[in-house]
Amino acid sequence: MVNLEDLKKEAKQILKDEKVKYIIGYKKGVNGLMPVPAFIKNPEDVDKLVWDPTCVYNLTLFIVDEKRRKAREKNPDERPVAIVVKGCDSRALIVLLQEKFIDRKDVYILGVSCENTGVLDEKKLIKKLKGKKAEKVEFDEKDNFVVFTQEGKVKIPAEEILAERCLECKANSPVIYDVLLGEKVERNINNPFKSLEITEDLSEEKKWAFWKEHLDKCIRCYACRSVCPMCYCDECVVDTISFAVTADTSAEEKAQKIKWVEKSPVSSENFVYHLVRAIHLAGRCIDCGECERVCPMDIPLRLLNKKLEKEVKELFDYDAGFDPDLPSLISCFKDEDPEDFIR
Amino acid sequence: MEKILTKKSFPQWVKKLVSYKIYAPVEEDNHWSYEIIDNPENIDLDYPLTVLSPKKIIFPQREVLLEFETSNENKLQVKETLPNDEPTVIFGVRPCDAKSLTLTDKVFGGDFEDLYYWRRRNQSTLVGLSCNIPPSPNCFCLSVDGSPHSKEGLDILMTDLGDKYIIETFTKKGDQLINAAKNLFKNSTSKDKNNLEKIQTESEKKIRRQVKDIKKIPPKLKEMFDSPIWDEESMSCLRCGICTYLCPTCHCFDINDEIASSSPIKGKRIRTWDNCQFPDFTMHSSGHNPRPDKASRLRQRIIHKFQYFVERYQNYQCTGCGRCISQCPVGIDIIEVLDKVSDYGP
Amino acid sequence: MMAEEFEPKIVAFLCKWCSSAGSDLAGVSRMEYPSNVLPITVMCSGSVSPLYILSAFNRGADGVLVSGCHPGDCHYIKGNYYARRRIALINKLLEYIGLEPQRFQMSWVSAAEGTKYTQIIKDFVKELKPLGPQTKLRKDL
Repeated sequence: MVNLEDLKKEAKQILKDEKVKYIIGYKKGVNGLMPVPAFIKNPEDVDKLVWDPTCVYNLTLFIVDEKRRKAREKNPDERPVAIVVKGCDSRALIVLLQEKFIDRKDVYILGVSCENTGVLDEKKLIKKLKGKKAEKVEFDEKDNFVVFTQEGKVKIPAEEILAERCLECKANSPVIYDVLLGEKVERNINNPFKSLEITEDLSEEKKWAFWKEHLDKCIRCYACRSVCPMCYCDECVVDTISFAVTADTSAEEKAQKIKWVEKSPVSSENFVYHLVRAIHLAGRCIDCGECERVCPMDIPLRLLNKKLEKEVKELFDYDAGFDPDLPSLISCFKDEDPEDFIR
Repeated sequence: MEKILTKKSFPQWVKKLVSYKIYAPVEEDNHWSYEIIDNPENIDLDYPLTVLSPKKIIFPQREVLLEFETSNENKLQVKETLPNDEPTVIFGVRPCDAKSLTLTDKVFGGDFEDLYYWRRRNQSTLVGLSCNIPPSPNCFCLSVDGSPHSKEGLDILMTDLGDKYIIETFTKKGDQLINAAKNLFKNSTSKDKNNLEKIQTESEKKIRRQVKDIKKIPPKLKEMFDSPIWDEESMSCLRCGICTYLCPTCHCFDINDEIASSSPIKGKRIRTWDNCQFPDFTMHSSGHNPRPDKASRLRQRIIHKFQYFVERYQNYQCTGCGRCISQCPVGIDIIEVLDKVSDYGP
Repeated sequence: MMAEEFEPKIVAFLCKWCSSAGSDLAGVSRMEYPSNVLPITVMCSGSVSPLYILSAFNRGADGVLVSGCHPGDCHYIKGNYYARRRIALINKLLEYIGLEPQRFQMSWVSAAEGTKYTQIIKDFVKELKPLGPQTKLRKDL
């Protein structure tokens, strides 16, 4: 089991030594069960750090944020930023390193192992508790979750409320780290693409009906894009914000700015947005599940990315986020790449 | 008037409203949402807060303002596309959501009335449902001059008395709805009235959250434009759009032309919701963006709701529904921010 | 009056050095083939972004074809290899959301294969006719 005190000790030390600018971790939220991201600058504040089954968030996107912040500063502090990562989150860091978006020296990685369990899905927990309000959740030695409610303690087997992606976990322990807390435990997942089965077996018409029903609900809040650490483009396909306008830009040019997707949340535009996002994440998505967690309309977004993850593995034998020296999927090829679909 | 309706008779009342389009909260996946009802037996008024408020019915996310095309002689023809005449009833409106419509009324009304908004607003009858228990763990309506049994903005208010509803009407539209099924309603007794008062007092005690000292906030915000507090509070903000799109009082919109063909010209002018938390909300055509970072956008949101709107319309632009708190992916809590604002400074 | 038979609209992204030249050869040789194609010349099949394909369907294309040089013959050496990877993925994704798989095709057509190009188009039109207009991803205007 991960000892939280060890994490706090390590965090305190690197802040005292001024090795890092600040530490990105999890701290208790003011309200409710779930934690919030913490940005700890003072060694005295490390006591705020928590580590428990509610630490679902993928904090890697704040590394992307940090890069944006540095770009705006005149004399930026070149020290690295420390970050608390789980196995899945560490794969996101590897993808960012692969794409040379950040340097290895920009992050100090405090890896935390999930060992035999993972993190919970808040919605599943709420359903399980049937009205009782959870105040705290802890790991126990036997891979259960111990849930503290106002009406007393409840022990729930982890599988029943684990996040969907934890049931298909490919990396239960950080793949890259400067410090590792917890044990590296071998864990065999029989079917890493089980969640796709229901949708893949449907007929063509049923598949369409499934996706149309879900994507029609999309309100284009772009939370899925904003929470994804891999969606770091300064100008996204759906916005055209950095169209450089100079004194010489003609009215014609301004008027003919390409608009790939209309702003209104109608079915066809929602499809283009989500499909393009899925393709842009092919070979890069590491299934942290955040896109699906943050969606206010409960769209099963993870499945789109999971489908491509499966195809990428089957067609090209490629796994995202394990080797920082590997070229990214679409910037390399093999002579034996399948071409049976080509006439 | 004040009437009693048994829970069993409720679907029958709705069935009598044949000339209306009926909306009510419906459970979809893991959330509730206002949808058109075909079968009144499916209406379940025992629901938590919906994800989107009834704002989406009165002020839809996509509205066609006009259509244009060039005729054979190359003349441009413009066709106005006002909303259709469709009397609508929305059931299960929480008092906070109803109050939010009175706030958007001020924005879309006044010196210049927005025809599209008012067409829909005037043809809608709002049937509220009192919050005997808070529908969300983050409700704070009492702090922003609201209440779990407020009638502001409603035509009818229903309160659950156990096996029956007590129904109060406040407008002619509300009376019309009752009269459509007169025989289903009974008069209320003094026992019912006492019950109602008890429930109303109890419901106020159950509201779990409150803003510390909201009256201090508008004058405080005036001095805080350059405060470092905005940077600290927005560190974890994702720049998504959830807080503003789900907010029942937020009303910013964008207008775009959607072109079907450019020769001959044919297209529509569309109004869609817009979001001050998106990075390009204040992007000028020169490329300059006066709100380039998250801190300035969080500041804008708080100051707009709790200072500018107060100065302009003498109301907080917030009804305490708590959606922004419950749905923020990183747990940014508007009450926490406001408490920090009231504590700020000497 | 006889009802008009449905004529599918095909948007074809043809690489300039091979496939587009192949279609030109078909034209110059006076080979007959259906006129349902809207050809768009791109510099290389590797430059075809998934956005182009989705955008073509969004604007109402009934079928989309991407055609490039044979492996090993790319004018830019490797472009068609990258295309092969990318297009394989788009193909799988479109099939996953329930778009009829017959609507999206990729082919290798060299500058000398005018006949092959006409055959591909003839077959494509024949496969698309029974499917009717593409309404799933089409923008509603």
